[in-house]
Amino acid sequence: MEISLLVNQQQHTLQVAPHETLLSVLRRLGYFGVKFGCDTGECGVCAVLVDGKPMNSCRLLAAQAEGHIIETIESLGEHPQQGWKQTAGLHALQEAFIESGAIQCGYCTPAQILAAYHLLENNPNPSEAEVRDALSGVLCRCTGYLKPVEAVLRAAALLRGEAVPPLAFGDRELLSLPLVPEAPSEGESGLDLSGGAGRVQTKILPKVIFSPQIPQHQRVGKPEKKVDAVKLAQGKAAFAADFEMRGLLHAKVLRSPYAHARIKRIDSSRAKALPGVAAVLTWQDIPRVAYSTAGQSDPIPGPLDTFSLDNKVRFVGDRVAFVAAETPEIAEQALKLIDVEYEPLPAIFDPAEALSPNAVRIHDEPEYVNFAESDPSRNLAARIHIDIGDVEKGFAEADMIFEGDYEVPKVQQAHLEPHVALSYWDADDRLVIRTSTQVPFHARRILAPVLGLPVKRIRVIKPRIGGGFGGKQEVLIEDVAAHLTIATGRPVLYVTTREEEFIAARSRHPMRIHLKTGVKKDGTITANAMRVLSDTGAYGCHALTVTGNTGHKSMALYVGDGEYRKSPNIQFHADIVYTNHPPSGAYRGYGVPQGFWPVERHMEKIARALNMDPLEFRLKNALRAGELHPFSTAWSEGREPRPEIIQTCGLEECVRQGKAAIGWDQKFGNPEWQVVPGKPHLRRGIGVALVMQGTAIPYLDMGGASIKMNDDGSFNLLIGATDLGTGSDTVLAQMAAEVLGVELEDVIVYSSDTDFTPFDKGAYASSTTYISGAAVVKAAQQVAERIRLRAARMLNKGTNGKGEVNPEALVLREGKVIAPDGRSVSLAEVALNALHHEDQEQIMGVASFYSPVSPPPFAAQFAEVTVDIETGQVTVDKLVMAVDSGVIVNPLTASGQIEGGMTQALGYAVCEEMRYDDQGRARERDLRHYHIFQAHEMPELETIFVETFEPSHPMGVKAVAEIPMDGVAPAVGNAVLDACGVNIDDNPITPEKVWRALQALQQEQTT
Amino acid sequence: MIVEYHRPQTLPEAVNLLRRKQVLTQPLGGGTAIDFKADQPIAVVDLQALGLDTIERQGHLIHIGATVTLQQLMEFPDLAPALVGAIRHQATYNLRHQATVGGSLASADGRSPFGVAMLALDAQLKLLPDERTLSYGDLLALRDEFLPGNLITQVTLNLQVELCYEFVARTPADLPIVCAALARWPSGRLRLALGGWGKVPTLVLDGQGAEGLRPAAQAAFSNAADEWASAAYRSQIAGILAQRCWQRLLTDKEG
Repeated sequence: MEISLLVNQQQHTLQVAPHETLLSVLRRLGYFGVKFGCDTGECGVCAVLVDGKPMNSCRLLAAQAEGHIIETIESLGEHPQQGWKQTAGLHALQEAFIESGAIQCGYCTPAQILAAYHLLENNPNPSEAEVRDALSGVLCRCTGYLKPVEAVLRAAALLRGEAVPPLAFGDRELLSLPLVPEAPSEGESGLDLSGGAGRVQTKILPKVIFSPQIPQHQRVGKPEKKVDAVKLAQGKAAFAADFEMRGLLHAKVLRSPYAHARIKRIDSSRAKALPGVAAVLTWQDIPRVAYSTAGQSDPIPGPLDTFSLDNKVRFVGDRVAFVAAETPEIAEQALKLIDVEYEPLPAIFDPAEALSPNAVRIHDEPEYVNFAESDPSRNLAARIHIDIGDVEKGFAEADMIFEGDYEVPKVQQAHLEPHVALSYWDADDRLVIRTSTQVPFHARRILAPVLGLPVKRIRVIKPRIGGGFGGKQEVLIEDVAAHLTIATGRPVLYVTTREEEFIAARSRHPMRIHLKTGVKKDGTITANAMRVLSDTGAYGCHALTVTGNTGHKSMALYVGDGEYRKSPNIQFHADIVYTNHPPSGAYRGYGVPQGFWPVERHMEKIARALNMDPLEFRLKNALRAGELHPFSTAWSEGREPRPEIIQTCGLEECVRQGKAAIGWDQKFGNPEWQVVPGKPHLRRGIGVALVMQGTAIPYLDMGGASIKMNDDGSFNLLIGATDLGTGSDTVLAQMAAEVLGVELEDVIVYSSDTDFTPFDKGAYASSTTYISGAAVVKAAQQVAERIRLRAARMLNKGTNGKGEVNPEALVLREGKVIAPDGRSVSLAEVALNALHHEDQEQIMGVASFYSPVSPPPFAAQFAEVTVDIETGQVTVDKLVMAVDSGVIVNPLTASGQIEGGMTQALGYAVCEEMRYDDQGRARERDLRHYHIFQAHEMPELETIFVETFEPSHPMGVKAVAEIPMDGVAPAVGNAVLDACGVNIDDNPITPEKVWRALQALQQEQTT
Repeated sequence: MIVEYHRPQTLPEAVNLLRRKQVLTQPLGGGTAIDFKADQPIAVVDLQALGLDTIERQGHLIHIGATVTLQQLMEFPDLAPALVGAIRHQATYNLRHQATVGGSLASADGRSPFGVAMLALDAQLKLLPDERTLSYGDLLALRDEFLPGNLITQVTLNLQVELCYEFVARTPADLPIVCAALARWPSGRLRLALGGWGKVPTLVLDGQGAEGLRPAAQAAFSNAADEWASAAYRSQIAGILAQRCWQRLLTDKEG
């Protein structure tokens, strides 16, 4: 049918199918600011304005929109300077989102801005609650909403013509902003309902506690705007699917309805005959190559147990066939025409049954390649056993033994951009894969044998990524598009649906954990043992390393006190088993949240049983600076372990700061505070968890950087590091700018492309700022050295030897090279001299870095809750995190990481889980049932950075990205215990679990 | 898959399209509830040109056009605050600008806060072609029989009816595990509806006096088990929420 659409004041007449959505048509017309995320209206990233109102274009037929005024983000504003043309510039909302750090991956940003635009058009002076309501329809998995809300309030004030406090600050003292006073409680939401500029900005910047030993910097430590924020605020075509190619085919995957079955017969002839179908591939059509989808360094520390397509399916949602067709609808239709005869096999859903001698074998393929102790005959993907000291001796020396069983669920990364891969042959017959990956270099290496191509004939391009959180540390879909490109010779785009994300992508490993701890009466831990049963699902990707980190981090924190500090007694055993659930994999935190749920719940119980202050008990036994990381000599992700001494640990200061922020001393153990006046069914509680993570994998993780100087004194920074929305491009550029003495805008960042950027292992293990950052600093130092040499020669020219400057005495600052006597040359002059005038050279530097250590960040995480003791409903009122992440390169992006991480972890605490029926079918298949927190239901969030200077890094940094995931759930669990006296040992803490525990407690008290 | 799109300009034209037998034909309001990817061929009849997007006040009654959006309804003056809360719980900002009152009622499942609230309020629906008026409760009871070929054009509410809405969920904006809406008329008539479970909201009680409220609610959910909660839990919580609603109505009156 022919329709006419008015989009951004431009009339389009076009043919559409009746079923075609407005989303589809707008993207077809090139409005790539309109994103796709769920197809069911729950995520809101596809929002546009229809007659000025925000609506989700995935839930509007294109035909419905005819006769209406449609506005997309592209209509709102644009870069103010476009060569000789000056434009009206960005809209105040776009500016505010950029300045406030409200943009992380940027995938939801256009929709958030449009929703806010509608709000401000109708209500120029909104309260915070009204802003949160307006943003409620657009999910954000990165930010925790705090900064987007503040950005809208800031823009509102600016649009009203009011002055707002500047965000930028010039010196370090100003970073130590006073803590935000508690928001006045108005209305049921507890949100600030007052408008006005008075509260603008106050929450955006975290409190930063400085160490006097940390050197002062020009660019590092400053809340610089993200280098990619301007394009993301405009909704530019920056993501993997925002790319148009002639002759593009669309891929779809037929997925198994059975949890475990052999494919007896598969006939694709009817599908192939469907007009518009270009290729149908089954296991019979492609080479059978065993590989691992885990995006890790070589050799993959896990079994090779996966095939692109196999004659056996191992979970509901496993791959059966690939289709490429002219449209997604034809491809979908073709899937229904593939005839498959399955032979159902017995399935394993209980991980405890997997190791039974009578259990069905899930991996019986002869091509299976073992790693370490994997044993497919026993459904064992990996096994870890670590003895540090002598736990039996430690238990014998204890006055009391505490044992407990805990369980953690399977949860989904739920990045709002699904997995996207576009593949095509270039003019040199090299296969180009443009993909939303965290690991472009690993993807290239892993795909080469699977596709029958040498590494050198594959180019992987990583554009902007709409969130990953570990879900894209997996070579999950690139092979689908690539096989189909090889089969057809044509470009192929594969975009997973939201349902596929839930049933067939990766997730956090669910685990059952037994803890046994020996303690002396004075609170000294004498021995600590953890036994884990981990469910890797149908494939063993990340099986060993995720679960290894469960022990490596959570069991390392409490070494004991006194003599036990020198020689702790720790045991960690894990069986990681295959089941017929969808595969587990990498998810932000990488096994560590699974460890800290039991450890921190357990420590709370022990402290209370000993009648000790929970924080005093924890700090008494916690690891300190100068001590050996107990696991460093025992395990290193399947590689040789080497000893590591903890150089910096700000944990005690984190506790002190966090306690003050949450009001611990006024609230903990205070029965008057626990009661809510006028509401006898409510009880307040407060809880804490101490946590540690790691920073990169020692002796393994490597990142490279290349910097070259341009004619105008600007620099191109080429990095393989993979910014998936975290802001790593920005902080790496800040480090380069620091060394080179330039503004951030003079560093042009490009990442990542396996053809053009140096190798980087990718975005995982909390490593980019540390590993890639050190590489950038080294490369920048090389460049700086070349600049100094040349500048000295320029300055010394004509001095006849009098007053000559030594290159080493020159300082790079403010775009100049400055001599001690005040003379200077600009970087542009140096660049022109080098490139054009004399002794010509390209001033450039290339460097790489790997680390012999993995310095842990430490944190204290606090939660305040209200429990309804009649219904069991838990409301989390406030989360505080005080974290030692070393030197903070950018407090704006770093606090965004903390806020977003806390929010994801909050879901882990109270609502997120993936469950399956007795046939292995998923209960959660969309974002309606898999609930992630929305803007209008958030607790108050507070971030405090306690800086230390990590000596193994030139800028003193440690990791920040993953640690916020670790302690929220146990802190909430401990707060629930504090509020109403019940222990919930399996998260999420749902109302029914609390209610049942309260019923049991009541019964216990009455009998 | 949607194979036909129609945008009729008159109500008779819309009804004629909806009464066709040759292809499954469904009304299209905002589009938030319809299955765009259904296996069978579907024709949709877009209601946007029919002038059903206004709210009229007539004494203490409001007549809400079927294509009035949830946001429009929320913003209508004098609407019961609890109904505003239930709408907010039903849908987020964008979806509220899109979802229509008629469509939301027609598609409400047991976990629909708006459906539960409107059931408690005894919303009256006008259907074409035969100008029939039907209570929302009656429609829910026989929705599959009533709706095909018929068109909801108007929903009527009594503004004098007080409403309380309570729920339990994993988070403040999550789908309810149990929710309760209790409406009270000036005459003393009480009407309790429950949600959080089942294919449709559950009407528990319609009568005078609050004595049996809690046991009635418990009994109504005594078998309300699914993969999200046990019947034992839902039953107990239904009773508690029903009682809380009643207490709230009393308190509000005193206040």
